[in-house]
Amino acid sequence: MRVRLTAAAAVILTLAFVASTASARTYRSGSAAASKITVWLQVDAQSGWPNLVAAANQEFESKHPGVNVDVQYQTWGDHLSKFDATLAGGNTPDVIEMGNTEMTKYMAAGAFANLTSQKGSFPNSKNWLKGLAASGIYNGKTFGVPYYAGSRVVTYRSDLFRRAHAKTPTSLAQFTATAKRLGKQNSSKGFSPVYIAGTDWYFAMSFVYDFGGQIAKLKNGKWVGQLESKKAMAGLAAYKRFFQAASRASKTGVENKPQPYDVYSKGKAASIVGPAWFSCCVGKKYTKATKQFVMPSHVKGQGMPGFLGGSDLAVPAGSNDKSLAADWIRIFTSTASEKGLQAKGNIPNATNLLGNSVNERAAKRSWFVPTAKNWVNVENGNVLRTMLARILTGKQSIKDATAFADSNIELTLNQ
Amino acid sequence: MTSSEIPSGTAYAAEAALRPRRRRPFTFARLLRGAAPYLLILPVVATIVAILGYPLYHLAQLSFQKYGLFELIAHHGTSVGWANYSSILHDHVFWDVLVRTVVFTVVNVGLTIGIGTLLALLLTKVSTIVRVLLTAGLVLAWSMPPVVAVQVWTWMTDPQNGIFNYVLTKLHVGDYSQHDWLATPFSQLSLTTSLVVWGAIPFVVVTVYAGLSQVSHELVEAAEIDGARPWRVFKDVTFPIVKPIFLILTSLSIIWDFGIFTQPFLLIDQTRINTSNELMGIYLYEEGYVKTDFGRGAAISILMLLIVAVLSIVYVRRMVRMGDEAA
Repeated sequence: MRVRLTAAAAVILTLAFVASTASARTYRSGSAAASKITVWLQVDAQSGWPNLVAAANQEFESKHPGVNVDVQYQTWGDHLSKFDATLAGGNTPDVIEMGNTEMTKYMAAGAFANLTSQKGSFPNSKNWLKGLAASGIYNGKTFGVPYYAGSRVVTYRSDLFRRAHAKTPTSLAQFTATAKRLGKQNSSKGFSPVYIAGTDWYFAMSFVYDFGGQIAKLKNGKWVGQLESKKAMAGLAAYKRFFQAASRASKTGVENKPQPYDVYSKGKAASIVGPAWFSCCVGKKYTKATKQFVMPSHVKGQGMPGFLGGSDLAVPAGSNDKSLAADWIRIFTSTASEKGLQAKGNIPNATNLLGNSVNERAAKRSWFVPTAKNWVNVENGNVLRTMLARILTGKQSIKDATAFADSNIELTLNQ
Repeated sequence: MTSSEIPSGTAYAAEAALRPRRRRPFTFARLLRGAAPYLLILPVVATIVAILGYPLYHLAQLSFQKYGLFELIAHHGTSVGWANYSSILHDHVFWDVLVRTVVFTVVNVGLTIGIGTLLALLLTKVSTIVRVLLTAGLVLAWSMPPVVAVQVWTWMTDPQNGIFNYVLTKLHVGDYSQHDWLATPFSQLSLTTSLVVWGAIPFVVVTVYAGLSQVSHELVEAAEIDGARPWRVFKDVTFPIVKPIFLILTSLSIIWDFGIFTQPFLLIDQTRINTSNELMGIYLYEEGYVKTDFGRGAAISILMLLIVAVLSIVYVRRMVRMGDEAA
């Protein structure tokens, strides 16, 4: 017994000793001139436009002799937890690419350097896409430089549409009728006239915005869920009707499992909804017949507002050389660079660079998530997905499902 | 008192003082022998302190702080006392998750031990070649990393291209095209259970089989001659002998399954995880990392640690008692 007691005392003493030395940790401070800047870009750049990155690096390194650019590619799934770890450790990158829905939380916490005073020095900053630029602004200060955007379009097989005597639909009703005809002509199991995963909230919310609704709005400094509103519920009812008429996909499925273009390339869909670059991967067999159009609104003749996805570039507050970092962003978002992105099927960051591709036409009517600092928690908490699954499977009425989602959204956003 | 009594008294006292010294002469060897237990546990204590003590201290400290993204950037949190703990204990989600995790653990441990024991008993009955094949299959399942196993499960149950739906539809069991095996929390956790049990069975089979080989043949034979049925033989002869092994396996399985993360997190996927299907490990991850509330996350870890510690105490006490009985 005495042995045990003494051993326990020894453990406690050692613990206390370790603990007392633990608080003497120090952090690296970044005052020395950098000979290297670290840039975190998403793998999209690595697979899609590595030449643009290389060109920007070359221009930067010739402008700043002796300074190297270390580009580290990240994936969307885990780049934020990796970034959090660098914030804790004090070795943040100098430039980071952020998804536009991810920005607000980090801007609110003071993770990024304020670029407001030098905003004018960024190329085309006067004409930045409004929706995208807004995602980089918090409390009137600019923290993010728009990088590029992407809208969602319908990718379809013109051969099947022709056989169904269908023209490019100009209204939701027309598209629904086409989908029904396509379904009758292609009765193989699991074939979708329009493949939509049930919980694809980007697509479902487009219906909400098309019917004049929205997800949440700021009222007297508090976020109020708006999905219970009549307009939003009308949009969700329309989404349910369209899904039932057009998609044989799982009602509880997620939009990237499987990837819609994989379903399409296996001949299991006449059309799919998603980013314009989906045309990349439709399979050799269907490449020739594949075309795209803007998802039509329930109001004839106009497009349905689509989710404007996109990326911003920001300089973390802990960067060792913020002016060098900002200069790299300046070079990487130059007119030439943005034109290169446009050639790859993306939407450039400024209105004066916009062309007339289907992607860019779709971006004319777009919607964006509420710019609340906790929005990303609503996304990661799968609040909207849960609501959609309940509505489509009939487990809950639209009224109950939206009420539940609204209370969840308010709880999270007002935390 | 006579004068002669004094020396004799002194002699007594001197003798009494001398006695212990004579019994325990102070030598280096004796010191070493006395310190031996401490020296022997020193490496273990030092390792535990280095690996667990330091992080644990930080975790406990963190659990009393507000530590979000803002504090992460500033590199220091603000003390909030017991606020994190009270917010968790007043959160109905925590209690839901706790009950769900307990049920999940009971079902998983029960299935793992049950099926594992049956397979181990089977191993004792079959021919050598079947035993080798079965053991090889089990070891292969065992050697598959959980992440890879999740991928295989995901492929098999894919609504669009999965083999489950294909085969079931072909066999006319029903129209399973586009059937989503992960549609409801129940089906999500059932699929997770199948994966966890599948991965945990080999260890149980191999260990129980090793234990069964220690059961003397004569005992079983004697019981059988006395007319005992197989179940009776197992209950009254075999089981009492291999009981310590079952105790270890059950306790370890409870600890593993209670804190499970990899399989449910990857199988259910981030896009489907919500408050209606979270297990303790995932709840901790979502609250701490995803919502960037490290203080609350730390408090959940401490609570989880306490629960597992209570479970371990039961296990350790039983082990010690068994050791005493054996001695």
